[in-house]
Amino acid sequence: MNLSAEIGEAFVVFVAAIFTQNILLAYFLGLCPFIGVSREIKAAFGLGLAVIFVLTVTTSLNWVAYHLVLVPLGLEYFRFILFIVIIAAFVQFVEMAVERYSPFLYQQLGVFLPLITVNCAIFGAALFMVIRDYSFLVTIGHAFGSGVGWFLAIMAMAGIRQKLATDRIPRGLQGPGITLILAGLMALGFIGFAGVLQGR
Amino acid sequence: MLASTLISILVVSSIAAALAAVLVVSERFIANYGPCKIIINEERELTVQGGKPLLSVLTAEKIFIPSACGGRGTCGLCKVKVLEGAGAILPTEEPYLSKEERAAQVRLSCQVKVKNDLRIQIPRELFSIREYVTRCTKIRDLTHDIKLFRFQLVEPTTMDYIPGQYIQLQTPAYEKSPAPVYRAYSIASDPAEKGIIDLIIRLVPNGICTTYCFNHLKEGDEMRLNGPYGSFHLSDTQAPVVFIAGGSGMAPIKCILHHMKNTQNQREAVYFFGANVVREMFMVEEMRQFESDLANFRFVPVIAKPQEGETWSGETGLVTQAVQRDVKNGVPYEAYLCGSPGMIDASIKVLNELGITNDRVFYDKFA
Amino acid sequence: MKQGPDEQQLDVSLRASTLVAGGFMGDDLRSVTEVIDADAGELFRLGMTLKELASRMQEITDKAAPAQGLWVEIAPGREAQVDETRGSSPCPWRHQGRYFKRITTVRRKDSDEVLRWSDLGMHMIARHGFFEGKGSMFRLEPADLVKMLF
Repeated sequence: MNLSAEIGEAFVVFVAAIFTQNILLAYFLGLCPFIGVSREIKAAFGLGLAVIFVLTVTTSLNWVAYHLVLVPLGLEYFRFILFIVIIAAFVQFVEMAVERYSPFLYQQLGVFLPLITVNCAIFGAALFMVIRDYSFLVTIGHAFGSGVGWFLAIMAMAGIRQKLATDRIPRGLQGPGITLILAGLMALGFIGFAGVLQGR
Repeated sequence: MLASTLISILVVSSIAAALAAVLVVSERFIANYGPCKIIINEERELTVQGGKPLLSVLTAEKIFIPSACGGRGTCGLCKVKVLEGAGAILPTEEPYLSKEERAAQVRLSCQVKVKNDLRIQIPRELFSIREYVTRCTKIRDLTHDIKLFRFQLVEPTTMDYIPGQYIQLQTPAYEKSPAPVYRAYSIASDPAEKGIIDLIIRLVPNGICTTYCFNHLKEGDEMRLNGPYGSFHLSDTQAPVVFIAGGSGMAPIKCILHHMKNTQNQREAVYFFGANVVREMFMVEEMRQFESDLANFRFVPVIAKPQEGETWSGETGLVTQAVQRDVKNGVPYEAYLCGSPGMIDASIKVLNELGITNDRVFYDKFA
Repeated sequence: MKQGPDEQQLDVSLRASTLVAGGFMGDDLRSVTEVIDADAGELFRLGMTLKELASRMQEITDKAAPAQGLWVEIAPGREAQVDETRGSSPCPWRHQGRYFKRITTVRRKDSDEVLRWSDLGMHMIARHGFFEGKGSMFRLEPADLVKMLF
């Protein structure tokens, strides 16, 4: 494929990853920190940014590791272990570097890094990259789009929960319960996007 | 088959090992801050290994910054002025620093990490603070919830303190408290008795330190404390003195009275001791002894509401009311107060009404 | 459930015994937000708002404080007393302000029922809706509070 077609495809994949194939609302990956941290908008913002950053970089690194190391050696089945190891090592390294060189950035998003070290959204994006056989540029579009989609979902959830903060929620549904119901409703909304494309 | 299995294991293990090696090496370079110079008050210079909080660095150099929570960022007492090298204020410090303090570059030393050279300013008094290993040699009941604890100084053996100062007693970790904490108590002993420190401690419901002292501490046990701290002391003038203190607030007053006796101070002094009921009164004999030992000292115990069955012929009502009745012309007096913020505020109001201006009122609020 | 670092920090602060022996959570295994939500629901069922409850508590403390330890009648059949010890502590929620160690005790004259709160506890109820975890020595059940104070 030539370069401009690849960039075009990367862009399409980017948009799809935000709306029709939202990694959280369509595939339900990365729910754990989503439910736990969406109580406060400030925390959701910091976590969302951290996810965008980690998703984009680690998925790209994983593409390199997969296509330049595992495939030539015929060791594709090791991708599960290798991806996790690369993600964990990268997050550790970034946390260390950010703490040293920018305490401000560390307080804003560095403190969230341990939360998403082994997160199925981050791992899942890398696996999707393999399954759908994306090229490097398309992988970047896919990963960045997934991150932005996740960020959008958690910010929306934080906004909704903020509005609900003073409302009376039935006892059993407080906290995670109502959040899951809301996530389901949001997912229904996003299915609408996929439906639009299907209808065309 | 076997070869490919081995190769695959080898490849993945070596990638993982390589990543681990990268992490270890980068930690050595990134997280390692190297030697850092700390200049204190423009006169003293320390060179320390970077990476640790400023509070622990200073403590290791035997400079004791007050702290009640042991450096965990929950008490807000370890304030130090950092003029250069501290970086931006952290969210963990913000709750404890007022706007004026931030403008003056005051920081929480337990949260500031030493990453590069620093220039700091510490109040001069802190340099004479030492950590003491002591042994508890006597526990004496004063009332149902107040005890006197005597600590023998083991290492170092003497403490130079000004009567009225306090120490920070370290409560070791025990079942109610997983880590050591520090609490402040005024020194109550006679300064002439070198080598011992008396503390008057009142049991506080759910108090970490007082629960330990009342339920676990035994005579012969070792305890640590550091000090002396505080600027509460008797002035150098000859003005007549009003002391107001109740309960464990008697401690610094008693210390000052011993000092007055030791130096044969001739100043007129009256001590108003307030308690709710008669059984909360203590050390009456010692105070009567001071009345005969000192030139011009009166002890006025005040019971708020004597209960049925208690015989009491002295002053009654609130201690502040007794002060109002007793002091005729307040203007020449100096007042020394020790107690809870509420009692101090109420006393200051009464003292002002009697003509004692705020610059002649001294107190130790322990806030 | 994964908690953000602020919430983790708060949980640690509340469970640690650095301010009060035994911490503020007692032996309650729930997270802070669960405790707050559960008590908020309870309060709603009782038909009371946090604001009303907190202002009544403050009113009682202010009325009893000048008596410096003596019992003061605050309502028919109820009296209150304020006891102070030296020192102050910050709030586990980490914002400006220190709270003096002042304990207000309220009791019914006709029974043994007694309720206690500290200045810090009152602040945590008023501002954060936190009544402390079950098993904590200073935990106040919203139902008991409403019954005693109103």
